[in-house]
Amino acid sequence: MAVFVSLAGLRVITGQDMLTDAGTVRTTLTFAVPIGLAALGGLWAERAGIINIGLEGMMIFGTWFGAYFAWSFNDPWIGLLAGTLGGMLGGLVHAVATVTFAVDHIVSGVAINILALGAMRYLSILVYSDIPGAGAAQSPSAPSFPTLNLPWLPEALAPVAQSGIFLVSDLAALVIGLTTRMSALTLIAILLVPISYLVLWKTTFGLRLRSVGENPDAAESLGVPVYTLKYVAVVISGGLAGMGGVFLAIVASQIYQEGQTGGRGYIGLAAMIFGNWRPGGLAMGATLFGYTDALQLRGGGAAIHALLLLLAVVLLVVAVWQVRKDRKGIAVAGVLAAIVLLFWYFSTDSLPRELATYSPHIATLLVLSLASQRLRAPAGIGKQWRASRS
Amino acid sequence: MSSTPSGGGSNEPAAVELRGITKRFPGVVANHDIDITVAPGTVHAIVGENGAGKSTLMKTLYGMHRPDEGTIHIRGQEVRFHSPSDAIRHGIGMVHQHFMLADNLTVLENVVLGAERRHGIGRKARARIQELSAQYGLGVDPDRLMEDLGVGDRQRVEILKVLYRGARTIILDEPTAVLVPQEVDELFDNLRVLKREGLTVIFISHKLDEVLSVADDITVIRRGTTVATADPRTTTARQLATLMVGGELPVPELRESTVTDKVVLALAGVTLLSAEGRPVVDDVTLDIREGEIVGIAGVEGNGQSELIEAIMGMRRASSGTITLEEHDITHWSTLRIREAGVGYIPEDRHRHGVLLDSPLWENRVLGHQTRAPSVNGPWINRPGARADSERIVAEYDVRTPNIDVVADALSGGNQQKFIIGREMSGNPRFLVAAHPTRGVDVGAQSAIWEQLREARAAGLAVLLISADLDELIGMSDTLHVILRGRLVAEADPTSVTPEQLGSAMTGAGLDGAGAHTEGDSGAEGTHSNESEDGA
Repeated sequence: MAVFVSLAGLRVITGQDMLTDAGTVRTTLTFAVPIGLAALGGLWAERAGIINIGLEGMMIFGTWFGAYFAWSFNDPWIGLLAGTLGGMLGGLVHAVATVTFAVDHIVSGVAINILALGAMRYLSILVYSDIPGAGAAQSPSAPSFPTLNLPWLPEALAPVAQSGIFLVSDLAALVIGLTTRMSALTLIAILLVPISYLVLWKTTFGLRLRSVGENPDAAESLGVPVYTLKYVAVVISGGLAGMGGVFLAIVASQIYQEGQTGGRGYIGLAAMIFGNWRPGGLAMGATLFGYTDALQLRGGGAAIHALLLLLAVVLLVVAVWQVRKDRKGIAVAGVLAAIVLLFWYFSTDSLPRELATYSPHIATLLVLSLASQRLRAPAGIGKQWRASRS
Repeated sequence: MSSTPSGGGSNEPAAVELRGITKRFPGVVANHDIDITVAPGTVHAIVGENGAGKSTLMKTLYGMHRPDEGTIHIRGQEVRFHSPSDAIRHGIGMVHQHFMLADNLTVLENVVLGAERRHGIGRKARARIQELSAQYGLGVDPDRLMEDLGVGDRQRVEILKVLYRGARTIILDEPTAVLVPQEVDELFDNLRVLKREGLTVIFISHKLDEVLSVADDITVIRRGTTVATADPRTTTARQLATLMVGGELPVPELRESTVTDKVVLALAGVTLLSAEGRPVVDDVTLDIREGEIVGIAGVEGNGQSELIEAIMGMRRASSGTITLEEHDITHWSTLRIREAGVGYIPEDRHRHGVLLDSPLWENRVLGHQTRAPSVNGPWINRPGARADSERIVAEYDVRTPNIDVVADALSGGNQQKFIIGREMSGNPRFLVAAHPTRGVDVGAQSAIWEQLREARAAGLAVLLISADLDELIGMSDTLHVILRGRLVAEADPTSVTPEQLGSAMTGAGLDGAGAHTEGDSGAEGTHSNESEDGA
């Protein structure tokens, strides 16, 4: 909320309407959903104590299978099913390696990422070689999901959004952005956040799954099937990442392309970590990543440039806060960085193209790492675990 | 030999009856011909040395593995357990020595985990926990986060966990190992309530005075088998000890005083701050002289570890100085401090003392990697290190096939003896001994005490930290009590009792002979200085 208010303020100060208009909201969603789905995947795995750096590979499975089956059956829903199953397959491989054979989680994850890249290229060559417009690196175009629109609300709000009043028009734009042309898969992805929360925190199954990630020995001593739960968690994790891949292939671009995931699995993992292994936190992290991505895409250097001002202010606030907590080193660093950013903001009008492409993720990482000072990972994460029975 | 139930009704079937239990592991027989009868509604103690096979037996009873021979009867009915859940179904619950609790979950979540079918995970479960907590006087709040709870509370949560599962027989594996005397008394009060409510408690321990005060029946286990049953009303601790070790029990004691005037290590106003800025070691001033063992008593987590780490240069003191003979070592590195003649027996030998996966002779080099005989210029002196490892193995009676086995293959006691041998080599002038006999069997314990005594006679200054109050009292020339990072009292080891020490450790003050609180004495001056600095 505070973020939104400050963005609205920033829009008024800098005159960059793009910061909060409806198009940006929609684009933000498009970028945030795959990151958010990957982050949810990470959440499921890590809550059960398995580090899933293979999310990227599982997303790749999702993109390929999603696009192929959606195209060949001409039905996006079959694509969704296939892509999710593909991701689950990746998750299953990871689970076999890490749970049954106690392979280091990072090694197994990285192996899956490499394997996915190669295997999908191989499959592409196999099935797309004779299809016009498709080839080793891309699929033919796939059918889209239906989109959802609220009937009259957007039209009613349009003039309000145009009016340019501080906060009011920004809110109107937000509502319009959320109620027009939303893909059905976007809605499903958004709903998966509260669903994950409910399942993981409010059900017996979720309690058991989290206990496995916190203290598997304790869980085992109470008759909780540790191996089974770890398997289930990692497979679900892969399925969510695969769903993120389907979104990339069918909703965001309508074809499968090699390298389409572009590191979103890793970004998702980062969003989850900075979201403190909580669904709400990771959703915020994913939105932030999606937002800076959207700005970069729509406004390019000029819009990102406006963000510099906000970042400088945030850094100053953090610095003051650190002074109060008697950590002068961090405070001084914060003030210096803020001064540099302010100087940069006032001395230029736009960001160089090369920087603008990478700045969103860097800026987001900076903000998230400053905002999350007390992270609490599940205690049993990344550890090899063996049942104690002889 | 079998025991006869002495408490409870005579015609009721035994709560637990073990007959001829034998359990073999590859290469060893952990238990053989165990016979135990536990009468319902009693506290039945099973005593034995470390490694006597108590824990193996309890794992058998709790279904964590199956016995190779023998039968188990629960309330007169023969049972075969394939997993702990089978045991739970028959009303047997176990509180492990190392708590099986997830820190990041609430008390409620920890209790209901695995038993969600009883009352769900919500409101009904909470009500049931509160009801049980009130019925058995446990005082457990279901909504606290586990990591906020102290050791005593955690143990009560563990007990509540097994009660929640409907246990009628509760196994407590070394429940007092982690408790201070006052907490032990609280636990025993809890056990008496459980007994009054008709529950049966199996209490595993090697602390004989505790066993005598709480148990109704005692079974003694030695070398994997039951050797005797005893009635606590007619048996003395000494008799039990003799049964347990099959011989006399070693006693920690110092003979004549060897303390000299020469100060080896001097701490002056040493203060350490935690990450949050709270003092964890608060203005500690202490002199340790040649030939003197200075003991520090305290509940774990009151700054002992931090104090040691400051002396060893593993942490930086926020203020104050540490002087080794004539050198100010406050800002020296750990390696330089060790080279200056400081030995260190770490409190957690697996974390700081040895590399479990490395052979013994490589472990010999650790910490001595700049000194003869371990090195020769920039090269490791392999023959030298090996020869010296052989010496340690011989002199310190380390039971090992050879010096090429990995440290992990040795028992805890032998690892500890090897560490002590290593730390004593190179003629140290000062030794930090943190829990030198923790997790060590009785034989190794007396050997370690003997080595400390010899080193002291040779003029070594020792800082001794231990959770074993008898060891502290017996082995110290001077004894201090640490509480919340402060040295709050000095006790005279010749007259203080473990109970007095225990009450001083919890802040209740040291009453009785031979003690004075340090605030009243010479430390006064430092305190006022400190407050001026703070202002």
